[in-house]
Amino acid sequence: MTTSRGESAEDRYLLIQAGEEECMLPLDRVRRIVRDLQVIPLPGAAQELKGLAEFGGEPLPVLDFSRLIGATPGAEPAYPVTVIAWAGPAESRELVGLQIDGAVEVVTIPTDAIVPGGEGIVRGDVSFRDRPVRVISLAALGGGG
Amino acid sequence: MTPERVLLLRRGGGLWGVLHEAVRTVTRGRDGYRIWLRGQEIAADEVLGVIEGLPVWPAGGALTEFWGQRARGLAVHRATPLVVLDPESPPAIFGTHGTDATETSDGHDDQPSH
Repeated sequence: MTTSRGESAEDRYLLIQAGEEECMLPLDRVRRIVRDLQVIPLPGAAQELKGLAEFGGEPLPVLDFSRLIGATPGAEPAYPVTVIAWAGPAESRELVGLQIDGAVEVVTIPTDAIVPGGEGIVRGDVSFRDRPVRVISLAALGGGG
Repeated sequence: MTPERVLLLRRGGGLWGVLHEAVRTVTRGRDGYRIWLRGQEIAADEVLGVIEGLPVWPAGGALTEFWGQRARGLAVHRATPLVVLDPESPPAIFGTHGTDATETSDGHDDQPSH
């Protein structure tokens, strides 16, 4: 894919570690990365929903990102990092917390390098430094509500 | 976000809220409280009081998808996040089975105790 000026279209992503998987979150959806966010469990919640947290005076649901994508948890999953991000379609987006194992770096990926595919919030895959990385669509998260 | 008048209560170790306009009566028993809502009766371990103008955010798609319960919204009180219940569809943990209500309380307008 190219732009009107003949350049390759690129998007910026936050490379994260989630269990044994590496994933890329669209950077324009990421609001903050925080450590040790206190999460209050919610009785009756699915395993994907770790609970509720307070961020900047607002409530937000906190999700186990590894479970969202069906990733195998790491050897000692502690999820010390939470990505605060916008989820859902643009017209009804909401802030959520995504518990992950680590935020690695910001990367730029040509749009046409992404191989479409995957289920749920997985938009596709890309080869990054000779490793397969899942590319995530947060627009597809929680849009049913 | 909409400021609401919310009755705060504890149940199952957590902090919850219910819109005050939905509360009909509060009754205190030996082992907790019963709260009569519009067409529903719920149990609470503790009633903390009413907060005026508590900002309530809509329950978004993530909560709806992964909690599986209806909610009026989400709020934060003193840095603690909470669910504001849908008075017509409270979660199962608010069931009144086993709650003994013997003493009537008029504590709707109590100040929060924490």
